[in-house]
Amino acid sequence: MEMYLYIALFAPIVGSLFAALFGAQPKTPIVGYVTSALIFTSLVASTVLLGAVMDGEIVHVELMTWIAAGDFYVPFGFQVDQVTVIMMMVVTLVSTIVHVYSIGYMDHDKGYNRFFSYLSAFVFSMMVLVMSDNLLGLFIGWEGVGVCSWLLIGFWYHKESATWAANEAFIMNRIADLAMLIGIFLTYWSMGSVQYDVIFAEAQYIDHSTLVTIGIFLFIGAMGKSAQFPLHTWLADAMEGPTPVSALIHAATMVTAGVYLVIRCAPMYDLMPEVGYFIASLGAFVAMFAATMALVNRDLKRIIAYSTLSQLGYMFVAAGLGAYWVALFHLMAHAFFKALLFLGAGNVMHAMDSELDPVKMGGLFKVMKVTAILMIIASVALAGIWPLAGFFSKDKILEVAFSGEHYILWGTLWVTAGLTAFYSFRLIMLTFFGEERYKNFGFHPHEAYKYMLYAMSPLAVLAVIAGWFEHQFVDFVTQMLPTFEFHTHHVEMILILVTSAIALGGIITAIVMYRNGPLSTKWESQFAYKVLINQYYIPQIYEKFLVQPYRELSDIFWKQIDMKIVDASVDAIATTFYNTGEATRGMQSGNLSTMLKWMVAGLVILLTLAVAFSVGYIAIIG
Amino acid sequence: MLEHILSILIFFPALAALLGFVVNKDSIRVYGIAVAGMEFVLALVLWGAYDPSIAGMQFMERMDLIPAFGISYLLGIDGISLFIIILAAFFTFIGIATLPNLKNIKNLIITLLFLQMTMVGVFAALDAMIFYVFWELSLVPMLYIIGAWGGEKRIYASVKFFLYTFAGSLVMLIGMLFMAFFYFQATGVWSFSILEWYRLVLPENIQLWLFVAFFFGFAIKVPMFPFHTWLPYAHGQAPTIGSVILAAILLKMGTYAFVRFSLPLFPDASVYFMFPIAILAIIMVVYTAMVAYAQKDIKQVVAYSSVSHMGIIVLGTFALNVEGISGAVFLMIAHGVVSGALFMLVGVFYDRRHTKLMSDMGGLAHIMPHYATIFGIMMMASVGLPLTINFVGEFLCLLGFYQQSHIFTLLAGTAIIVGAIYMLAAFKKVFFGNVVHEENKNLPDVNKKELFGLIPLVMIVVWLGVYPKPVLGPINNSVESIVQLMHDKAVTQEAKSVIPDLTKKVVISETIIEEVR
Repeated sequence: MEMYLYIALFAPIVGSLFAALFGAQPKTPIVGYVTSALIFTSLVASTVLLGAVMDGEIVHVELMTWIAAGDFYVPFGFQVDQVTVIMMMVVTLVSTIVHVYSIGYMDHDKGYNRFFSYLSAFVFSMMVLVMSDNLLGLFIGWEGVGVCSWLLIGFWYHKESATWAANEAFIMNRIADLAMLIGIFLTYWSMGSVQYDVIFAEAQYIDHSTLVTIGIFLFIGAMGKSAQFPLHTWLADAMEGPTPVSALIHAATMVTAGVYLVIRCAPMYDLMPEVGYFIASLGAFVAMFAATMALVNRDLKRIIAYSTLSQLGYMFVAAGLGAYWVALFHLMAHAFFKALLFLGAGNVMHAMDSELDPVKMGGLFKVMKVTAILMIIASVALAGIWPLAGFFSKDKILEVAFSGEHYILWGTLWVTAGLTAFYSFRLIMLTFFGEERYKNFGFHPHEAYKYMLYAMSPLAVLAVIAGWFEHQFVDFVTQMLPTFEFHTHHVEMILILVTSAIALGGIITAIVMYRNGPLSTKWESQFAYKVLINQYYIPQIYEKFLVQPYRELSDIFWKQIDMKIVDASVDAIATTFYNTGEATRGMQSGNLSTMLKWMVAGLVILLTLAVAFSVGYIAIIG
Repeated sequence: MLEHILSILIFFPALAALLGFVVNKDSIRVYGIAVAGMEFVLALVLWGAYDPSIAGMQFMERMDLIPAFGISYLLGIDGISLFIIILAAFFTFIGIATLPNLKNIKNLIITLLFLQMTMVGVFAALDAMIFYVFWELSLVPMLYIIGAWGGEKRIYASVKFFLYTFAGSLVMLIGMLFMAFFYFQATGVWSFSILEWYRLVLPENIQLWLFVAFFFGFAIKVPMFPFHTWLPYAHGQAPTIGSVILAAILLKMGTYAFVRFSLPLFPDASVYFMFPIAILAIIMVVYTAMVAYAQKDIKQVVAYSSVSHMGIIVLGTFALNVEGISGAVFLMIAHGVVSGALFMLVGVFYDRRHTKLMSDMGGLAHIMPHYATIFGIMMMASVGLPLTINFVGEFLCLLGFYQQSHIFTLLAGTAIIVGAIYMLAAFKKVFFGNVVHEENKNLPDVNKKELFGLIPLVMIVVWLGVYPKPVLGPINNSVESIVQLMHDKAVTQEAKSVIPDLTKKVVISETIIEEVR
């Protein structure tokens, strides 16, 4: 089995390096095929491993030493267990599809080869992230996906907005990464290792406040990668990247790394329910907060990005309340339907010459039937309608909240479920139905390549059926993750009905409201709309109170402090010496009478000193 | 040959430099490459012959110079100095090999070879006087390089560089004389041998004074805040080769000397000054990173980033545990490689356009994709991406200091944020966007000569990032014995508790420890 582990892990990086060989050249079609084939190989190897883990075999290898200094020791160790293998399947499956899709999507781009190199490097980093058997190995993947995300958001680097967004994402993630590093330091100094098996066994014996501190710092790390408030602004801006990137990185895989971290550290978080409750509350808040921003946005991809943010909030609620398997289940289901939704949006973008405003579309159903149907399936799944995937996973999260008697959390998530359904179908209605407004703007939409649609179809199937395997899924992952006791059997049916009702209500409201195209622009002058369209003014606040002061302070540090104080005082000392020399130069002119004058002066001073000292000396002694 | 390999390493380039005066101007480049190449091979031989399982000094050579004062020609290396010597040989080699066509290139190459002598000498010396002589001699070639091949304000910059560091060194010299005097008081004989000084236990108040005296010499060299302002001038005016050697090797003299002198000689003072120095280090990290962000000249960005990274090295050194000090020594190597490479990369553009202003660049990724790629890799190494060389060092430095203070580590850890800010911002200004300057449109990408210098650096960055053991292992061994020595020598209870007891036998020197009364 070790061989399959290495194949699954290293096939993507081989592809990336292969593509990098052609990096600076114009499009070389073989690059797309080879990288896709290698990712597919990784998928096959992961499937084999899935079979092995199902048979109860946990694969664990130690490749070699990485860092060893003093008592600190960390190897390149990889482990495939129930949680890992699920993540591996999700990552490689979505990656394969996105790779194949990208062959079509990036067809005319002159950075074709470069794109595949970055994309495969991302998959490799993600595999390292999920497969490592220690926290520092996870951190390698963590930073690796960060860099690939930076490269891919800023892929079209001639665009100012793209490179700005790339830097924003990287720097904001770095803030969280610092917290994560601190968490790792504390883990090492309190438990003597960063290996999962050691620290999970050790966690119950260490001081509770230390454990809580570790939990908080690791979670702050997770907040960065999963774009939780207040580190969320980068995700919407990250939509500057090519759409397949948004599908793979900013919906299905990388942004769920934070959730994965909490699930992975379940044995630790299980010991600190107070931190868990904080995670859940923040998750519920973000779920609602992001959903409200999606309500009014006029950018196809940003709407989906906010929806991702919102769904990540759902996952954190489940993970925080101890229902780790539910979080993982929703993570998986969400990866399928959200990637599908993004790829569909990619088709629309292609058809509309990169136009993203759904208000300028409308009636696209006629020209892009397949894309429209795929996106509707994804939206229904996202809204949580029976029998699609979202119904099973999201419903369970609401049940978890209800079961723990966290009625406020439940209520928040319940309302958000309605909002989710509403904004999803607002998008569908504006894009695909109603008046064909695109004609006024001179667009000539067309359906995407056939094989792109074929590539998307597995996701559509999974978005429909993924939920049906709930029981098998539970049995499988709870071999490792703690089970969750539901205390809701008496109200289970009622809960399902109530939740489905609000989702359906949301869908119907959206269909009714937007059946004739966009609303009148009258309400755009209202306060609520302005707040929402400006994302609660948070980006502006960051710009005004963080970015600008930093820039100004840097300038002051350089020009005022470094140049005018620190350096100037050094020069002042030097100048003093210089001037003293200059001023006293006259003494040594060689003129006999001047020299004699100074000699007399010196003699007098020395005599005076001698007398003064001897008097003083006698006074002290005598 | 192996028993005199250190002497050969020191004096071979110097002799070759003397001979260089009679070499024809046209063949001097080949001559220089050959000499530096042989020196580099010798350094590799040294590595091959080095026994990583021994923590103490190896390849020791001894010859009495002034027996009456105990001054002797004493050489030896351990895991801490070995790799800096190899790095010095390596950078001189690729530095000379990639020299662009400058005027008076013959003098430049001869100067570089002399500089190499002084660099190897500093790191191989085990006698304080020999150390001091090489330490001061290293200023002369650099003064000449900046003063003769520098930019507009080269005279000001080189004089400032010389006088500033020289002033600090004089204070250090007084400290050394006192140290020898205390040794004389305790034992009745004079000695300047560092290894014999190691055996001396000093009372805390004397340690404090001596620590401060040494500190001035080292801190200005590092350079630590607020003694750093000579550095931006020196880098700003120096030719590329000067900046590369300065950043890669010369700055490391200061931090190396902390590990070689300050920690083992004055363990109690090191503990006493740990937090004040940590505060200076944190200011270095954050403040200079912000100053770097404000720069308009790409070379100044790299120069200030050097100071910022040196802050992490100082912090790791004063973690006073094996993790931190090993990390600091490793980061010296890492930072040498990465900052050296970044200065070379800045030089690549400067040779083409004779400007270093970022406003004259922009969109270079379109025109020079290979250049952008290598720059990108080095930038990522500089911001401490895992699996690059810098991460290993930075991580261990911060990990080490975390044992001493949580909050200070958190503050110093902002290095990974502020570092990313100035680096990414600079990268964006230089490489992203559209090409706005007509002159840049037809710039050639990196040529073979430049790649000859840059590709090995990229390989080292990745190799030691993925597999640091060949370097980290020997470093770790030698650092362990230093930490143990410090623990054994510490006189105050506080210092004993701060410096970990590894319960290992000290093997640097003999076990007799004398007491000063």
